[in-house]
Amino acid sequence: MEDYFAYTAKLFNPDEANAKPEALKGLRVLDFSHVIFGPIAARLLADYGAEVIKLELPFYGDLWRPATYWGKYWKHSNPIWHNITKNKYFLSVNLQLKESKELIYKMAEKADVVIENFAPGTADAWNIGYEKISKINPNIIFLSCSTYGQFGPMRYFPGWDLLAQGASGVLTLNGYPDTDIYYKLPDYVGDFVPGNFASLAVLMALYHRKKTGKGQYIDMAQTEGLMRMLYHYTYFSVTKEAIGRTGNTDPTMMPASIFKTADEKFLALACATAQQFGHFADAIGMPELASDPRFAETPERLKPENAKALTKIATDWIQSKSCADILKLADAKGFPAAEVADDYMIANEEWRRKRGSVVLFNDTVYGKLLIAGPSAQLSKTPSRTKWLARPLGYHNRLVLKKFLDLCEADIQELERKKVIGTFDDRPGLKPPVYYNLNEDPIYNYGKEVKK
Amino acid sequence: MSAKEAIYTRHGGKAGDRGKMLAEIMNAEGKPEVLDDVLVLDVSSANFAGIICASLLAEFGAEVIKIEPADGDPARQITPFGVMVQGVGVPFMFEGRNKRYLTLDVKNSEEDRKTFARLAAKAAVVIESFLPGEMDAWGIGYRQLSAANPGLVYVALSAYGQYTDKAKDSARMPDTDITSQAGSGLPAQMGAPPEDPEPLNWPLRGGMWAGWYISGLSAAFGATVALIHRQNTGEGQMVDVAGMDAYSSMVGMPATIGFTWEKARPRIGVLDFILYPYGHWKCKDGFVAIAAPRDHDFRALLKILGLWEQEDDWRYSSDRIPDILEQALHLHKIIEEKTVLYTADELVKMALNYSRKSARSKWRGGGVPIVMKLMTPEEAMSNKQWEVRKAFQEVEDEKLGKFIISANFVKMSESPPRVKWVSSEIGRDNDYVREKYLRD
Repeated sequence: MEDYFAYTAKLFNPDEANAKPEALKGLRVLDFSHVIFGPIAARLLADYGAEVIKLELPFYGDLWRPATYWGKYWKHSNPIWHNITKNKYFLSVNLQLKESKELIYKMAEKADVVIENFAPGTADAWNIGYEKISKINPNIIFLSCSTYGQFGPMRYFPGWDLLAQGASGVLTLNGYPDTDIYYKLPDYVGDFVPGNFASLAVLMALYHRKKTGKGQYIDMAQTEGLMRMLYHYTYFSVTKEAIGRTGNTDPTMMPASIFKTADEKFLALACATAQQFGHFADAIGMPELASDPRFAETPERLKPENAKALTKIATDWIQSKSCADILKLADAKGFPAAEVADDYMIANEEWRRKRGSVVLFNDTVYGKLLIAGPSAQLSKTPSRTKWLARPLGYHNRLVLKKFLDLCEADIQELERKKVIGTFDDRPGLKPPVYYNLNEDPIYNYGKEVKK
Repeated sequence: MSAKEAIYTRHGGKAGDRGKMLAEIMNAEGKPEVLDDVLVLDVSSANFAGIICASLLAEFGAEVIKIEPADGDPARQITPFGVMVQGVGVPFMFEGRNKRYLTLDVKNSEEDRKTFARLAAKAAVVIESFLPGEMDAWGIGYRQLSAANPGLVYVALSAYGQYTDKAKDSARMPDTDITSQAGSGLPAQMGAPPEDPEPLNWPLRGGMWAGWYISGLSAAFGATVALIHRQNTGEGQMVDVAGMDAYSSMVGMPATIGFTWEKARPRIGVLDFILYPYGHWKCKDGFVAIAAPRDHDFRALLKILGLWEQEDDWRYSSDRIPDILEQALHLHKIIEEKTVLYTADELVKMALNYSRKSARSKWRGGGVPIVMKLMTPEEAMSNKQWEVRKAFQEVEDEKLGKFIISANFVKMSESPPRVKWVSSEIGRDNDYVREKYLRD
């Protein structure tokens, strides 16, 4: 039989991924959402082949377009926004005009999914909510994303990832006991995780619609998404005590913490089972620990007094070894360990590029940018990056001509009436200054392009 | 719409009582279950990412059979401080949703592997977390099972994935939450700045299973994409989730920032990289979370706190971002000097009163500063919002008694997820499974 890793290398070969079929091909999604929570739900569908049309206001655009780290732009774009909105079509229409609404309604007739994350009630007030769209297209799958949900006494409270972390209890779990400092989870996890939950719900609705023909309304509250991740509620209901903050030590395994190595690197090391602990005890040259009554059984090892003693043993050993030596032993003996990876390591480690965990993507407008791969690799219908984010209104012509059968004259009329529009001079909205849009066949879709 | 609800919006309540109507159509009772035609075998071991993936599919109605040896999945003992109820750990209780329990020892028994293969021939999804290549070596990997059942979706969870040289070299390394968090970049972004004393300035782990939950959710997402492809074409496939990808692949920032900056971000403590104010502050009786990052939100906050004289110094958002950490911390202190004078309730009320006027104003200058009392998980459980939305559910395990879980994580009008029962007993459904799936 062929070696397993030779077999899987062929099965998942990243070089062939772009030629493979797309699971969501042919689906059309109208994405009215902004910032991160809604857009990430829509992007996940685009990654698997859905046509996602992102709606923005002309000369204004998504709030997140200019929101870059420390004001640092990359080629006049927000580098992290590429990850949030890649693979989408960018249409910019002025929602205040009647003609704009009609364009949206026309698109809704043929759409499969609509996604929005305005403050609850807003989409309906603007007549682009579930109430209106489901009358135009009764089989629509309509996803509303919000911080607290579409019903309940707090429904009209606006929110961000921070508020969801604060309301679910996630925020108060990070930090050291007996200090007065908490830390929020970084990088807007409170948007990304619920965005993935929301997209999962859309997939389920699509599966259901295929079986029954029925669409539905989905109400995703980001706080409830975070709450799904906390067994802390059950712990409290069983023990009447709180887990609280435990610093760098995970109280569910032992040892399980972040340590400092002899060469001043940070390393996470954990033993979830008696077997893994046996491997670890062996690796540190203290095999007798595996039969020590304090440590042999997992429940004993987790008891606070034993855990403390074992953490001390682990700390002393790790302090005496280099990070590389420990990782080598972990691979050889079979216990979990990982160096704390930072941005630079994640961008540059060879295995991540080979796996497709990060992808050096060559874009027609922006050139090369390193972008994250999917968090699940699929062998037959893989996720892929087709293009990065685009300037505001970049796909106006393509969307209106290809999907709504408008002609060039119609579009010029819409432009004249300011129903559709594009970007102004602000970074985040406009194309890179060296890029000549007049020569771009997509931006000028259906028009003769001068070279 | 009550006066209280009117506070934050110009738009609520125009179409009758939308809230009441929605609460009714989102009721799960009697609704169809979307995955009621899907059989899932969860043979994962000592890995909650696998268990979580299985739970999510079970909540959407799949028949999920948890397969473990007679002494149980070691995951049963992975629990805070060793706390267990009759030998079952808390996380295992929390995730024991809508599942069947079958005893098979695929690791050691040739006979049980055959039984497993017979079940897999009828299954839509297999979830496993053995070391990469182990199932294959036992003759029950994707390669063998898919030959007999081409429609099979096979989800494998591990530390470094199922392919690449690195995956092969590190194939013996098991996957856990904290190593997944560390290897995929979360702790590097959390913790006090470098000037602070050790170990506070070390990278800090997320105080919940951020690694395992992200891996489990990603696995369920990948499996469902694969189920849609299967629904359309009859074809199955392999889904490969690596714990060392979890966080960085979900948020995407580490890769792109590492590439464009050619260095790693430093840790900046309680501040945020992009938005300010966006964090939490001490108040008289605890902590409040405050988000007022847009220019007009920030100005509104200054007005509320009586800090308008500061406006000129912090006029642009670029004045407030922490690229100069000292400067940002200075502003943080200025705000804290005011927040400590009030209780959380007072601060919330001050923000509400301001926002009521500004949200109803046609002028955009007003801003909507958001202030909330910071809640622990335990406090969150008594919030009226979640009672109305049935976000917490009291369940009863026939052996372990009653306890509370968070459930109904998304509301859907036609095919919502739900928790029908919880259970945990090893081998509880042996007869059921043999009768239903293994008679022929």
